[in-house]
Amino acid sequence: MTSVPHAHPATAASRIAVPAWAWALALLGLFGLYLIAQDNGAVLASMGGTAHEFFHDARHSLGMPCH
Amino acid sequence: MTEVLDRPSTTQPPGFGTLFSRLVAGGLVAGALAGVFSLLVTERAIAPALDLEEARTAGEAGHDHGEELFSRGEQLVGGFLGTVLAGVVLAVVFAAVYGAVRHRLPGRTDFARVTVLAAVGFAVLALLPALKLPASPPAVGDPDTVGTRTAIYGATLLCGVVAAVLVGVLVQALRARGVGVPGTTVAAVVASAVALALVLVLVPDNPDVIAADVPAAVVWDFRLASLGQLAVLWAGIGLAGGWFADRATRGPRVR
Repeated sequence: MTSVPHAHPATAASRIAVPAWAWALALLGLFGLYLIAQDNGAVLASMGGTAHEFFHDARHSLGMPCH
Repeated sequence: MTEVLDRPSTTQPPGFGTLFSRLVAGGLVAGALAGVFSLLVTERAIAPALDLEEARTAGEAGHDHGEELFSRGEQLVGGFLGTVLAGVVLAVVFAAVYGAVRHRLPGRTDFARVTVLAAVGFAVLALLPALKLPASPPAVGDPDTVGTRTAIYGATLLCGVVAAVLVGVLVQALRARGVGVPGTTVAAVVASAVALALVLVLVPDNPDVIAADVPAAVVWDFRLASLGQLAVLWAGIGLAGGWFADRATRGPRVR
């Protein structure tokens, strides 16, 4: 494998395009994570508490505030 | 693929879809590893806190834990699955951010770049909140202040992200002016330290007072375990995600 000196300028990588769906999915994922972890039933009145209790240990162990 | 022998592999821009699927697969591995860590280590630190909670004869109003909705066994499964889910979701967000900043990250390979961004992610999204608002096991937090603490947690994360972006902008500006690596590194470290100090001083502190019946060791062990679990999670995103992404963009090995 030959390696040419000075073949890597400071900006070695070219820019890649991030499609809109990736950002949308990221936001959706964060919102979902918020729902199951943080929400105490404010958004999902009935489901919130159930999901909260099921994922309760993850919420604590990942450092999110809880009671 | 063989026509690119003399070019560093990372000069060919990979498609975002390739990076995305590789990084999310890395997030799944990271979440599973952190979930195993949770079962082996963090749950051991949670157990004495739950014993304490049970020992308090006065039942807490409003927010019941434990046996009514889910058994402890089910909650262990939930803890594992929740951690896996967190790994996947963080990896989805990580992939979008990585795609946007990849060309600015140091390192020649995707492995190097992914690990750098994962280290930043750990510092901003795990270490910083752990310093500002250390994790607490069940039975320690005051139910009445959970809203305030959640706001502090969110504000800390937001400040951390803003600070990371500003440090990134600073590094780019210094580079554009021809400042060398040592000068840029020193400036970035100093700026990060100032940002950390500002967040620790300016964002309000945790209003809770830990009850007298909670042994310090219970809290301390849990905080270490929690930070360890987050470290495993982010190390997994960096190392597994970086490895998978690198294999996809590197092309076949040529000797």
